[in-house]
Amino acid sequence: MRTMLSRVMAAVAAVGLVASVPQARAADPIKIVALYNLSAGGLASIDGPSLNGAKLKAKEINDAGGLLGGRMIEITAIDTKNDLKEAATGAKRAVSMAGLVAGIGHSDTTFALASAPLFQAQGIPFVTSGATAPELPDMVGDQMFMACFGDDVQAHAMAEYAYNTLGVHTVVMWTDNAMDYTKGLSKFFQDRFTQLGGKVLLNDVYMTEDKDFSALVSRLKANADAQAVFASSGPDTAGIIIKQIREAGINLPILGGDGYDTDLISTVPGPDLSNNVYFTTHAYVGLDTGPANVFRTGYQKAYGGPPENAFAALGYDAMGLVADAIKRAGSTDHTAVTKALAETSGYEAVTGNIAFKNGSHVPSKPVAVMYVDHGKVNLKTTVTPKS
Amino acid sequence: MASGSKLLAFLVAALVGAVLVYGASATLDAYLLSIIAFVGINVILAVSLNITNGFTGLFSLGHPAFMTIGGYVTAIMSLEPKRKPFLLPDLPAWLATSHLPFLLALITGGLAATLVALVVGFPVLRLRGHYLAVATLGLIFIVQGLAVNLDGYTRGALGLNGLPELTNLWWVYGWMLLTLYVCWKLKHSSLGRTMLAIRENELAAACLGVRITRTRIFSFALGAFFAGVAGGLWAHLVTLITPSSFSFLFAFQLVVMVVLGGSGSITGAALVGALLTIATEALHPVEEAMGFFGASQLLMALAVLLVLVFRPKGLFGMAEPDLLAWIGKLPGRQPTRSGSKRQREV
Repeated sequence: MRTMLSRVMAAVAAVGLVASVPQARAADPIKIVALYNLSAGGLASIDGPSLNGAKLKAKEINDAGGLLGGRMIEITAIDTKNDLKEAATGAKRAVSMAGLVAGIGHSDTTFALASAPLFQAQGIPFVTSGATAPELPDMVGDQMFMACFGDDVQAHAMAEYAYNTLGVHTVVMWTDNAMDYTKGLSKFFQDRFTQLGGKVLLNDVYMTEDKDFSALVSRLKANADAQAVFASSGPDTAGIIIKQIREAGINLPILGGDGYDTDLISTVPGPDLSNNVYFTTHAYVGLDTGPANVFRTGYQKAYGGPPENAFAALGYDAMGLVADAIKRAGSTDHTAVTKALAETSGYEAVTGNIAFKNGSHVPSKPVAVMYVDHGKVNLKTTVTPKS
Repeated sequence: MASGSKLLAFLVAALVGAVLVYGASATLDAYLLSIIAFVGINVILAVSLNITNGFTGLFSLGHPAFMTIGGYVTAIMSLEPKRKPFLLPDLPAWLATSHLPFLLALITGGLAATLVALVVGFPVLRLRGHYLAVATLGLIFIVQGLAVNLDGYTRGALGLNGLPELTNLWWVYGWMLLTLYVCWKLKHSSLGRTMLAIRENELAAACLGVRITRTRIFSFALGAFFAGVAGGLWAHLVTLITPSSFSFLFAFQLVVMVVLGGSGSITGAALVGALLTIATEALHPVEEAMGFFGASQLLMALAVLLVLVFRPKGLFGMAEPDLLAWIGKLPGRQPTRSGSKRQREV
């Protein structure tokens, strides 16, 4: 019995030893966690550039001498593998890191909803770079901030652009029913489009894993009056949708949101089929401001190519927002950083000025309308919301 | 050993476990704690699957379906009423306003899974042969399909996320102990013996007056109850549940645990369940470093083949080795009292 007892004691001692990590010191790095889908799924094509953008911003700050008197920013990237369970356990791993100051990440609402509540529960601020549901801060809580505009803004911009500029008055809508983002985007688009006097002929739905859209294509064909198709899609299906619509010989304009801002829309269908596509995304391409130019040259230099899409700029801005708040708070205390984040006003970001007004945690920012012609993405116009 | 000292040994082991749980909760970080909790949940699943697949000799793949049902029901029951209308607009009023404590919600989830097991088991378990494997495989897809399409009740393919983090190590430990205790009692009761009799020879058992269908349905439903509870624990540990959280691949992993441990051995299923969970988690960094994803599954398949070739009955066969006696024996090779020296065959 004595030997058994000593074994138990040894086990307990081992458990205790693992846990006795030294406390964080004042000159330690400022720890930021970045949660992104890096190794799997279509989201990796927009999450990867986001992480690159965030790392670039951190490097620029560190090269300029760091924050709070010489403390360096240290980004830990956690790969969430296009799996919601990994997003939740990754967030758990993040919030249990000693000395974590804030979290950034995610370009999709469903993923942000899986991980952000765990930051909220620990009172640690979380800034999403590209998850765009405007209800996010209400659903998660006061620690949740967005560096991007809400889907209401981009969907309204697209509805107005389609109705007023393209003269599209009847649409067929496709919605990915397995993403919060696409469902919200469709709802906001339909609200504004019908309000303007437009007509939705058909609401069709599909799932993110779908590869065959022939049934939806034939129903689209049956609606001969349709002047455009609004396909609310994430990066996984955007390219496949363009390919299969064009292969069926339909040349209607295809409209979409920032889920189209990935090279998959030209690589999957090929440049010959990737035509007459309009999508909204985060403005930076058309902006010729100081930060946008600094970002472009910095990105070119660090990664040997221009930013892949607007999400690179959003990652850069999310990191910048957190750094700005830490600087103004004068500490890395969670409450102080959250308070400083909420007081952000007129932060000059790459994707437009960011201000959290009237207690809202969703900034009001300009929307870029892009046009795809033979696989080349060009800026059509930049819309600035009135409010 | 007499049954009294057996119970005492169980209580002592439970107490030691409780001390370890207390120590771990106080010192380890949330990530390690969640891995330990996954170990506990998988032990519950492996041991409860052992009731059907080990004791009664049926081949069920239904655990992921029961976990999905249990997980959703528990989540809906324990969700704050103020979030429900937003997430789940179609819930009837009595469900939308209900807010059960976690324990009751878990039991409700388990009972819901039991109910489904009864409905499925009643027609299927009257048949001979491997119909149950096919039926439960189908059940996984039916439950997934329902969860995807019953939008207003389950939030469709998006799943329920941001669930409160209710599961901690104590909950998992408590349910694990209950599962082990119930299975132990069952195996050594007359009901358990009738299950084993059905497994060995159905006709002979029927001739001796064993009610075959009733016993089979009971074992299937009991396993489903614990699977439902485990689903609820899982959902509130990960803080979300989606229709694809528990795939049929997971069913095979659980079957592997039972086969490797020895069909019918509670100790075997529990030990292998724990070891495999730790191994897959520990192999993650190795996979990442080597850039060889899927290595853990390969190793697991290899282990199954080796065990089937060299130990067709699994690690322990039907036996429940006396682990406490083993531990005491290891260092000094002291002679032990007769009875605890030999593996206790049932």
